[in-house]
Amino acid sequence: MPPALQNPITLWLLLTAALAGLVYAFMRPELRWKAIGYGSFLLACAVAVWPPYERDGVPGKIHLGLDLRGGIHLVLQVVLEDALNATVDDAVTTARDQATRKGIQFGAVQRVSPTSFSVEGTEPARVKDMRDLLRDFFGRSYEVREAGEGKFTVQMTDLYARQVKEQTVQEAIRTLERRVNALGVAEPVIAATGNRGDQILVQLPGVTDVEQAKRIIKTTAQLSLRLVENSAASPETLLQGVGGKVPDNMEMMSGPSDTPGQPTYFLLRKEAMITGRDLKSARVGVDESNRPQINFALNALATDKFSRETARSIGRQLAIVLDGTVYSAPVIQSKLGSENRITGRFTTQEADELSKILKAGALPATLKYLQQLTVGASLGRDSIRAGVTAAAAGMAFIVIFMLVYYRLSGLNAVVALAANLLILLAAMAYTNATLTLPGIAGVILTIGVGVDTNVLVFERIREELRNGKTVRVAIQNGFDRVLITIIDTHATAIIAALFLFTFGTGPIKGFAVTLVIGLVANVFASYFVSRFLFEWVLGKRHVESLSI
Amino acid sequence: MEIIKNPNYDFLGKAKYFVALSLFFIASGIAVMALRGIAYGVEFSGGTQLILHFQNPPEVDKIRHAVDAQAPGAMIQTYGDPKANKVLVRIGQAAPESDLDAPARGVREALARSYGQNPILESSSEIVGPIVGAELRQKAVWLTVLGLLAQLIYIAARFKGGIWGVAAAVAGLHDILICLGFLTFFRFEITLNVIAALLTLVGYSVNDTIVVFDRVRENLGKRRKDPLPKILNDSMNQTLTRTLISNGTTFLSVLGLYLFGGEVLRGFGFTMVIGILVGTYSTLFIALPIVNWWYGRQERAGAPAKATA
Repeated sequence: MPPALQNPITLWLLLTAALAGLVYAFMRPELRWKAIGYGSFLLACAVAVWPPYERDGVPGKIHLGLDLRGGIHLVLQVVLEDALNATVDDAVTTARDQATRKGIQFGAVQRVSPTSFSVEGTEPARVKDMRDLLRDFFGRSYEVREAGEGKFTVQMTDLYARQVKEQTVQEAIRTLERRVNALGVAEPVIAATGNRGDQILVQLPGVTDVEQAKRIIKTTAQLSLRLVENSAASPETLLQGVGGKVPDNMEMMSGPSDTPGQPTYFLLRKEAMITGRDLKSARVGVDESNRPQINFALNALATDKFSRETARSIGRQLAIVLDGTVYSAPVIQSKLGSENRITGRFTTQEADELSKILKAGALPATLKYLQQLTVGASLGRDSIRAGVTAAAAGMAFIVIFMLVYYRLSGLNAVVALAANLLILLAAMAYTNATLTLPGIAGVILTIGVGVDTNVLVFERIREELRNGKTVRVAIQNGFDRVLITIIDTHATAIIAALFLFTFGTGPIKGFAVTLVIGLVANVFASYFVSRFLFEWVLGKRHVESLSI
Repeated sequence: MEIIKNPNYDFLGKAKYFVALSLFFIASGIAVMALRGIAYGVEFSGGTQLILHFQNPPEVDKIRHAVDAQAPGAMIQTYGDPKANKVLVRIGQAAPESDLDAPARGVREALARSYGQNPILESSSEIVGPIVGAELRQKAVWLTVLGLLAQLIYIAARFKGGIWGVAAAVAGLHDILICLGFLTFFRFEITLNVIAALLTLVGYSVNDTIVVFDRVRENLGKRRKDPLPKILNDSMNQTLTRTLISNGTTFLSVLGLYLFGGEVLRGFGFTMVIGILVGTYSTLFIALPIVNWWYGRQERAGAPAKATA
């Protein structure tokens, strides 16, 4: 096979042209046109399918599902509450900053639910100003309610909440795509799934290291660089300086200290100087004593801000926080620029994974596993063997039966059956559909339904012959009468298959796809190709009897 | 070559015996399901299923001993061909939501500790959280109902009479119930594949019904003077050879699936084998008698009703 014919675009053009030719031939009454149209269509199908499975390094045209080639199938749930909380937290910070800037005195501003926050203790003289401020800033996406005595409740609108949720899932999917690409998985599937739209399906064919894949997928990777206000060996000592309670604009986190096994507690600013979004690149490097570290570079905008702020904070500690843990908290020695590093007690593999994850970006929310399916490669191979054996056995039996029972006409049915299978496989290659183990069962069932079409026609022709019709009329009546039955039976079967398709989960979907394509191909092969063959063989000759 | 020459059986006359037989099968099936409970596969019940491929022939007793400490009551059995050195471990307890992997990891670690002389070469796993399982179960029931309903509507529209759709759908439901009874009786698990097989066989059964309905429609147009029961019965006889050949060949190819399709497809194959048999039967002895009964009742009620298909 020349390489040009392996090019997806050439193939696509070829099949589209063949399909167009087929439609033309279909509408022309002349048998010559049909011969050319049908023949070249089937030839194009054969080219499209070849080679069906991997051979001599050329990848196979039929994509095998996870259950046949091994791999991982995960269903994750995006914890949307995380994203809502973060959005409301941002709003809280904005409200607080703006009120302070306008010189409005207020008591507490805090989040009271995942979708709302409250402002309390506004000074009586400025309640109107506070109301205007809240309306100006949040009026579009929040509902501002007044509860008297300077108290406001700001509630996210349902529409905005829904937007936040949708964006979160989309962003999570994009992040996962980048991470999976960094893993180097071929043909991954990452898509939203489930009724409520908060689930993500991840399929990684061929991946065997489940643990690594899951770590890479699940790490939230929220990176932030924040100023350290204070640090101490225990939470109690740390809080002594600030009145025993973490202040509103700060957070307490633990991190490593010089004595192993003894964490240090840090009091950090909530506001981050730099976050994961400001990263331009991240990769593994080594530090002075040859221990692995992560080097990262900031984008231009963030570099300006970072230089400015580090220049102002020389001598203070800067904490590098990843997913709620302080990795290190070096002292700022001088103004810092674009290139920086994260040191810590990493193994090389950890550093490598982390840098990949950081480069791919943070997840907007935590992910929870709902379902996990891993298939070992050898189990997949066993399944293929069993499935193909079963299909071949079924096929062989049907071929023998048709030839014995319908003699020469049976040969016609066998040709139609082969055409049916060929079109089915070509359509699967053409649409990048996946062949799963239940899909192989679908192929076997297609063969069964295909035979039914032939049997319907042949029995009808026999009946017509018994009623004394000539061969030519019997064939014509046979096909004409049966067409409506075939349309009805195929339409209901397709309806059933479409419901299977909405089931959504990998292997069953593959089964439904195979079934639908097989049914459509069947109408063409077992009805139209078969009819053409009868008419072609009959030609203009006068025929006395039919081998049926 | 012909299987039957000029068949002329009185299907409708015997219908009441067959309806009784069907009711008996459905009732026993429901009784079996009620007594024994339906065994759901891991994707529906939630939990953990591992398929472990050992280097040497595994000793199930020793494995059970090693696993029991970690996951008491786990089901352990040889998987597929005994020479394949594969063992299936099924842990019923729901995996904790925070750490779905914990039970599977526990079992693997326990085996490495106390059965380490026979290392695991490869392990496949299916872990389903409790929420997903329950959701999927609901979805399966809904899909079956909606699928049948959609086919009912299509047939009712094509045959210009709701009863044709109802008859085909009742026959389909009949097939599902009987298959479920058989599956439970022979201790098959209801897995996703089995659900797929059930939905497919509904399609197949309805398909089979339509072929006969279609013949009835044609005969109704040609033989306006004949009474409906005779037309129904003749249509069944006229399509009998096709019914036997088509369903016979499909039956044998799904039998091949059941026999050679391997462990994963065994439940699927079994469902299809039973389903094709029951689906053929229900066309002749359930769907057509329902149509006959309906129009007969209308006629008895006074109006000179005529089938409109």
